[in-house]
Amino acid sequence: MHVEAPQQILLLLIILFPLGGAIINGLLGRYMAKGLVTLVGVGSVAVSFALAVVSFVELYGLRHESETATLVYHFYEWFSLKLPSGHVVAVNVRFVMDSLSGVMTLVVTGVGGLIHLYSIGYMGDDEGYPRFMSFLNLFMASMLILVLGSSMPVMFVGWEGVGLCSYLLIGFWFENRDYAAAGRKAFVVNRIGDFGVLIGMFILVAVAGSFEFADINSAAMAGEFRPDFPVWLLGVAPSLATVACVFLFLGCTGKSAQIPLYIWLPDAMAGPTPVSALIHAATMVTAGVYLCCRLSPLFITSDVAMSIIAVTGTLTALLAASIAVVQRDMKKILAYSTVSQLGFMFAAVGVGAFAAGFFHVFTHAFFKACLFLGAGSVMHAVHAHGDADIFKLGGLKKALPITRLTFLASCLAIAGFPLTSGFFSKDEILLGAAAQIFRPDDMLMTSVGWFTLIGLTLAAVMTAFYMFRLYFLTFTGEYRSADQSGDHPYDAHPHESPPAMTIPLVVLGVGALTVGFLGLPHVVPIIGTHLSDYSWWGHWMAGSVAGQPVPEEMYIVNLASGLAFGAMAIGISAAWVLYRNKGTDALAEKMPARLYQIAFDKWRVDELYAATIVNPIKNVATVAGRADMTFVDAIMTKLPSFNVREAGRILARLQNGVVHVYGAVMVVGVVAVLAWFWTPHSRIEAAFEGTQVELTTPQGLGYEYRWDANSDGEFETQWKRAPGTTFQYGHDDMRGIAVFLKNVHTGIEHRIDVTEEWMPLPIESVVPAEFLSPRDTGFEVRIDGESLLFRKAHAKTKLSGMKEIRLPMGKSGRLGPARVSSRPLVEATLEVRNAFGNTHSATKEIALPFGFEAPTHASLTRPAHEVVR
Amino acid sequence: MGIGTYLVLASVLFGFGAAGFLARRNMLIQLMSIELMLNSVNVLLLAFNRVNPSNHDGQVFAFFVIAVAAAEAALGLAILIAYYRIKKTLDTDDATLLKY
Amino acid sequence: MTGPGITLFVVTATFAIIGALITISARRPLRAAMGLLVNIVSLAGMFLTLNAHLLAALQILVYAGAIVVLFVFVIMLLGPSAEVAPAEGRLASRTLSIASTIIVVLAVSSSVAYFNPPWEAVPDGFGTVEGLGMAIYRQALVPFEVISITLLIAIIGAIAVARSRTE
Repeated sequence: MHVEAPQQILLLLIILFPLGGAIINGLLGRYMAKGLVTLVGVGSVAVSFALAVVSFVELYGLRHESETATLVYHFYEWFSLKLPSGHVVAVNVRFVMDSLSGVMTLVVTGVGGLIHLYSIGYMGDDEGYPRFMSFLNLFMASMLILVLGSSMPVMFVGWEGVGLCSYLLIGFWFENRDYAAAGRKAFVVNRIGDFGVLIGMFILVAVAGSFEFADINSAAMAGEFRPDFPVWLLGVAPSLATVACVFLFLGCTGKSAQIPLYIWLPDAMAGPTPVSALIHAATMVTAGVYLCCRLSPLFITSDVAMSIIAVTGTLTALLAASIAVVQRDMKKILAYSTVSQLGFMFAAVGVGAFAAGFFHVFTHAFFKACLFLGAGSVMHAVHAHGDADIFKLGGLKKALPITRLTFLASCLAIAGFPLTSGFFSKDEILLGAAAQIFRPDDMLMTSVGWFTLIGLTLAAVMTAFYMFRLYFLTFTGEYRSADQSGDHPYDAHPHESPPAMTIPLVVLGVGALTVGFLGLPHVVPIIGTHLSDYSWWGHWMAGSVAGQPVPEEMYIVNLASGLAFGAMAIGISAAWVLYRNKGTDALAEKMPARLYQIAFDKWRVDELYAATIVNPIKNVATVAGRADMTFVDAIMTKLPSFNVREAGRILARLQNGVVHVYGAVMVVGVVAVLAWFWTPHSRIEAAFEGTQVELTTPQGLGYEYRWDANSDGEFETQWKRAPGTTFQYGHDDMRGIAVFLKNVHTGIEHRIDVTEEWMPLPIESVVPAEFLSPRDTGFEVRIDGESLLFRKAHAKTKLSGMKEIRLPMGKSGRLGPARVSSRPLVEATLEVRNAFGNTHSATKEIALPFGFEAPTHASLTRPAHEVVR
Repeated sequence: MGIGTYLVLASVLFGFGAAGFLARRNMLIQLMSIELMLNSVNVLLLAFNRVNPSNHDGQVFAFFVIAVAAAEAALGLAILIAYYRIKKTLDTDDATLLKY
Repeated sequence: MTGPGITLFVVTATFAIIGALITISARRPLRAAMGLLVNIVSLAGMFLTLNAHLLAALQILVYAGAIVVLFVFVIMLLGPSAEVAPAEGRLASRTLSIASTIIVVLAVSSSVAYFNPPWEAVPDGFGTVEGLGMAIYRQALVPFEVISITLLIAIIGAIAVARSRTE
């Protein structure tokens, strides 16, 4: 049962405040004082956060009444569309806060608000500060639309909006070509994913008949996505759910940086650090996970899709972690760490542990935002712009005590140190993978479970290792830029950041340590309350995401916890030994140089894509561009310009400025006009009313008319000023019968005059060959007395004496998509006389749409519909 | 003899005026040609008024035409003098500024 | 006779055509002006055949008395430079325009030549000072005032255009 509170206007306001801030700062920011820009930019998000808290509290209250309680605000109906089945689907701009989107809204506005606050200190001196604030606010609004939207299209608006803001903010310092290229790369790569989302959305609406997540999910639970996809792919028939989920997951790989579309995220670090923290770590990149959780009842119906997601996530986690291990730039390490952690989340989704995956989204938002902001603080302190080579840093714990402590807290969290937030969430993911192993009767999911468990454990080891490598190299030992030697050293005297930057760090750092307790009970297996069912988090999420498979046996829980703890311990110990108080890359000395280099080059995936995809497309584009310049431009621009130039050259000679010539031209024109008036003009138009034919002609000034309606040489009317006449044609006026073929779809009409000989009917001119069956090709027609006679013309029917079909005069019938009508032809003559006394006569053949009451033959009594094949 | 004769005469005179205007290059004579054309129209108006003498419409119109002709002559000659000041000739073939 | 006087018409028409021919063909502007004068006076006579007594008088007054005199005045002012050297070139456009004019004249003439509605008896006072004056001041008062303003504007315009700029 849904408990729906009255219209929740707050849900709309949560979105409108950042949107308004974006508009104000975007349009007026450059004319406003910096303080005002800050007030609008940060204030709007703060208000939004406060409203989100109010809504969340209300939702929390409602949860006591129903597990699936939601807050709904129906704004207006955006548009509606009609499915081929005739079903009309309304697309509503409607916002829904349930347990899933409620948590996400709090994370977005809360963490987002802190990052806005941080930006005051970090970006305050940048001349693009109002623009930056405007983009950040726009991002907040888009992200909130994405989160709160109740249907796929509304979510997609936010999905595209955050993509746009991501592009704008990555290329924020667009004067730098590399940064602008990074923004473009993010945009283009995301387009590929968006294509997947769109296709997935279309499949969903085609099957479920609704765009609303709730309807799609209930359709999925009702098994509507179980049937096979109507088109076979690669020789197999996947289910509808599989195809839809795979396409949706393609979108997720773009937005959430998974294999194969993760390549944009590391480059996205070109943007200002708060952007990296907000968009490329805490919120936007988790949109894919959010979408999977949102549609979890759908995803869970397809084991194939789930396996693909789990394997992809695990591989991504491993690949990104392996790259992060050898990077030198702080933000690069964090970027690959983000990719890796996103891989964890997707692996969780893939093994069905949606709540666990989303819990990791939640905790990750805290510690990764804190890590990025900490990195930003370090860069701010040493005046590094854009990159921060950890081998040029070191020993910063003295100069940056707050940054160091919060950074350490977050490193512990991400590594999974017991009782920090990352420990809880990562543990739960491993538990989800382990639970799959012990599903007895499913080979596929069992093997996926094994793969995921082992892969994620390895990735967790690497995570702990590279995070503490980063921490030790940055904060312990000696400050390696102090003596100003080496290549581009940093500022010799680092200093702690201003409070606007440290306050968010502290808040996020505390969060990184503590928010994990929301998922507490299950990590205390000894007491026996082992399962996520009993944790606050699992209970809270149960209303909106599909349930997680629950292992019965306690040893599985212990196994997962043990693996998580072991991985953390191994990783941190290795980093301690190799990097604590040291300034060199000890790993590089121990690893084969080649392997190290390839890992450092990010396994050369970018180069692989460049060679296999980007360059071929570029080559095609080059060829197409050449063709465009040589052929299209020649036709579209050179030829018209040539025409205009030459016509101008000729006409310019007439424009000689001599009045006489102009006068001569004018007189010639006068003569022409007079000549037109000199002789009368007429044309005949016929309208049919019953069997009466109304003959008309356009009225001319001072004209007189007389009609010979049947062209027999005798004028029926005298000279008169009225242009029209009516006439009833008789059988004797007929001059022949014509057959008209009209394609009813295209309206193309074809007329032939029929004689008494058999003549082929050129039916191909109105009926495409594919509309006719082979035996229909070739009709012949001739006049037989007062009706048309059709017969099929090819040899076989001629031999077999096929029955002929009559079409009486004035009747019509169908031949394939063509309407065949037989019409009697008559002729009308009109004579006009103008005031000069000159006369002109016009004749026109008229095909009458009716037959005559003629002396009947027996053949005429046949009904017309016999022509229908 | 009917009104047709007047009409023919008027059109012939108009033709003379038009031909003079188009063929001559002397601006003075072109202005006189315009007067010829206006006069021929007056003949036409009076002739038609004579056919339907119940009112004076044609004659009133001819009256206005004479007044307009006077205004036109005054302005035309003023322009002629201004033109002469600039070009030191009355040849209208030299007036080619329209080209630009 | 109900129609106009044939003799007077023939004489005035002949002189009008001769005058017009002189106007458009004379090399010297003064001769052209004299041709115009002949044309105008002849037409004034022709107006009499159409019962337009007042307009005949106005024709003499305004055209012969004012306009032609104005022309002569200007010719006097300009002296020998009022003459323009014989035409050379632009034969095509000249021929074309004259030929077109002839075509138009022939076409119109031939179509109107036989338009012969019966002459009606002229009512009393038709075309006299009183009759036309009544028409002008009663029915056409507003256009009459407008035309007087037009003349005023034309006078001002003529002064403005002809004024020497070198002062």
